[in-house]
Amino acid sequence: MSQYDISELERLIDGELPWARVQEIMKDAKDADRFEKWVAILQARVPWKEPILLPLTTALFIVRKGRQRIVKCRCGHEFGDYRVNWKLAALIHVRETEGQLAEVYRGTEQPDPTWIQIREYTCPGCGTQLEVEAVPRGCPPDFELLPDLDTFYRAWLGRPLPDAVACEDKTLEAMRRWRIEPR
Amino acid sequence: MSPKQPKQALPRRKTKTGAKPKARKAAQRGTAGRAPARESLRAQLERNDRLLRETGYLFGLEEMQRKQEDPGTYEAVWQILLNICNTAHAVGCRVSSSPIAAEGGDALWSLHLPTGEAVCTSRGIVSHPGLLSLLLRSYIEAGYEDDPGIRAGDIYENNDPHFGGIHSADFQTTVPIFWNGRLIAWAGSVTHVMDAGFVLPGSIGFMNPDCFSDGVPVVAERVGENDHFYPWYEKRMRSRTRVPDWTMGDARGRLAGCLTIRDRVLALVEKYGLDFFADVTREYIEDSRRYAISRVRTQAVPGRIRKSNFKDLAMAGKRVLLPVQNVDCLFNLPLEITIDVDAKVGISLQGASGWVPFGQNITPDALVSGMLNAYSHIVGFDMFNWGAAAAWSLVEPPAGSWANPYPVNYFASSGVAWAPAVVWMSSLYEAFGRLYWARGFVEEVAAGAATTMTAEFSGTNQYGLYTAGLTLEQACNGGPARGIADGETSAWCIYTPNADFGNAEVTELYYPVLYLGRNVEPDSGGYGKFRGGLGHTAVWLVMNTPGIEYQCGCAGIRSKLCGNHGMFGAYPTWPDRPAYASGTNLKELVAARQPLLHERGDPEHPNIARNLQADVIEPNLIAPFVTPEPLHEWDVIVHPVSGSQALGDPLEREPEFVQQDLDDGWGQERVAADVYGVVAKFDEGERRWSVDVAATAQKRAAIREERKQRGVPFREWWQAERERILAKENMADAVLAMWRSSMELSPGYAAELRAFWKLPDDFTF
Ligand SMILES: [Zn+2]
Repeated sequence: MSQYDISELERLIDGELPWARVQEIMKDAKDADRFEKWVAILQARVPWKEPILLPLTTALFIVRKGRQRIVKCRCGHEFGDYRVNWKLAALIHVRETEGQLAEVYRGTEQPDPTWIQIREYTCPGCGTQLEVEAVPRGCPPDFELLPDLDTFYRAWLGRPLPDAVACEDKTLEAMRRWRIEPR
Repeated sequence: MSPKQPKQALPRRKTKTGAKPKARKAAQRGTAGRAPARESLRAQLERNDRLLRETGYLFGLEEMQRKQEDPGTYEAVWQILLNICNTAHAVGCRVSSSPIAAEGGDALWSLHLPTGEAVCTSRGIVSHPGLLSLLLRSYIEAGYEDDPGIRAGDIYENNDPHFGGIHSADFQTTVPIFWNGRLIAWAGSVTHVMDAGFVLPGSIGFMNPDCFSDGVPVVAERVGENDHFYPWYEKRMRSRTRVPDWTMGDARGRLAGCLTIRDRVLALVEKYGLDFFADVTREYIEDSRRYAISRVRTQAVPGRIRKSNFKDLAMAGKRVLLPVQNVDCLFNLPLEITIDVDAKVGISLQGASGWVPFGQNITPDALVSGMLNAYSHIVGFDMFNWGAAAAWSLVEPPAGSWANPYPVNYFASSGVAWAPAVVWMSSLYEAFGRLYWARGFVEEVAAGAATTMTAEFSGTNQYGLYTAGLTLEQACNGGPARGIADGETSAWCIYTPNADFGNAEVTELYYPVLYLGRNVEPDSGGYGKFRGGLGHTAVWLVMNTPGIEYQCGCAGIRSKLCGNHGMFGAYPTWPDRPAYASGTNLKELVAARQPLLHERGDPEHPNIARNLQADVIEPNLIAPFVTPEPLHEWDVIVHPVSGSQALGDPLEREPEFVQQDLDDGWGQERVAADVYGVVAKFDEGERRWSVDVAATAQKRAAIREERKQRGVPFREWWQAERERILAKENMADAVLAMWRSSMELSPGYAAELRAFWKLPDDFTF
């Protein structure tokens, strides 16, 4: 089983390893302790102390805060329970006219705004563009990854998390109190 | 109205589920799952299914004795089999004279167990081993062993999606391998022919309205014996395909490769013994299943992954075949993956939209094979064979959807069934990329695939002969962005790791066109911290012909839309937009030594309109289409081939990468400034760009601030968006029709959509 020291993994993550070395790592059997080292590297790079349970994207993490598991941006902004799609707590900007699209796509590159809208999800804390969706009107936002954290830690990593919770999508439940206000 | 499928013709499918690893010891211990000498194929099939069900291991192989006893020989024989299959690929492609096989290598040869499961495959189109496996299984289930009987020297073939094909341009040839009178394996092959006898010329049958226009049928039948095709087989190809020399060249190539496999496998059995051969071939398949499972377990995370995706097929107002086709279609291509505690992967397409009156419907069996293709790239590529298919299960797609049309419309066309599937599969790359990212395997992340826009020519060629066929441009597009680097440019293709677009000079020998350009297309890999590999644009000058048709085909494109990719905050690649001009002044421009047309140029002022004068100039077409009139000498085509998807916030792209793309002519100044937030200026003296690092940091901070200002809280947007949905505001008819069919075919999906927007229970679009 391969093993890499933290400094080499940091160079891999930062895109600094020579391509030939990256290919060796790709072809070798995977290192069993990658996850632990990955989390350690990322934990050292964020300015907050809550332990990372799972990295979600380049900017977002599921962390443990007290007895809660929440989504947190690297900047520190918190999005709430990881079982609720974090997009509900993000800023959104939608491009749905030719003019709005033209800031990104012009001329022959422009999609048809009656077929599709471009949704940009931004972190209210740091202004990072977290995800972009290109979907027709009516499409609920994708809840890309809902990990089964307890199964992962208990059965796959062999170190159960305290305070197990049911792995279920809580997005609709979170929206239950959203009132429809007449325009 | 399309008729319901006759009951007796239901395609039989078995979804492998419910494996129980803790079941009793393998019943066949000591014989490693191999079949008793006189057991019928049907009995072997039933036993294999039962053993998997009861033990959780393919063929009941709880232990892999040959591997344990002698891992060196086990590995060596695998390499020999791999060599045998690749030799068959080399032989078959050379025997075939068709550009697709001979120049593009876009074909496949494989070795199978007597019961069909693929053991080992060649390079080439890796989407086919699963289909060949299920096709062979279907022969056994249909009782072919007794009637008509399977004998040494027989050639069985199929191209009918009703009976195990993907689309009729892909011919599947299988040859049994006998040893001392006993069937011990099959050799199989698939090639994509140049013309399948569709209602229109070529092999990308997007325009076919129903299966009766899907060309020459070969329906799971014996097409030859004693290693020879029947004379009537060739007669059929000669009268029912447009370029029969190529079609028959492919047939002979498939057969030659299969016979190559047969002869070499028999030599291998001679050397190692039948028992060893029977044991290891089964162990290789179980090994692959275990590999796929363990790779998911060591690299992914259990839970649920969802990814929407959509694909357009806008045909209203274009040249079509039947009035019913005068319509714009939008496909809903949803993906939901669940990974359970045992690392078993479940895949669902709940919400898939309905079948279409075009050749873009696919069967669940073909989707399974497509999945195997995706797995070969991203999950299990150590020993590539049927084994990975037992590591996941596909929930039966909604009956009547593009992914399962026959229960509702048995006459649905699969002229290019691959088209929606390949776009759907792109989601699979991103989905697994997200899982690998979570686990820290950043080097395995792939942000999503490029698209597959084809170019076919038909008419009289430079030799005065009729021709019809496909160029291979689309087989070589950009590779997906990784978690740590840009994707490779013009280097990759979702459906074949061969990724060979052939030589321009050779393509010019096949078709009456000359390349004016084959250039990397700037900024065609999305915009992100890491961009996808870039695609390229072919510019063709029509020459030495009295007239040819250009079919700009959809084998998996988006022309109205962007893909729903943009992983981790990147922007997705733009839509596929070809162009052409006819009645041009190019001849005069050449004589006057004026600038010609070599690339697409500025998207707002494409070169085709800027440099040329012509009777017809179409600079920004919605694909796919067939030219309304034949093209003639000095007419010109601009055919872009897409790049792949990007990853990460574009403001996090290293400014020096942006500068490098500017220097190489691979990036546009506007995009560098507006999307990447890079302040750069061109140094006329040094002929290169330089970045103002401090100004770039300032500009990027300002853009981030601007995002925060213009972004609205999601809930606020949700309120307003809900009203616009109720009013169906700014929604094309195709969008409304798509939602209606998705919601009708998948009530659970509909309920969730209504619940999210708090729409009335009876709401429809
Ligand atoms: Zn943030």
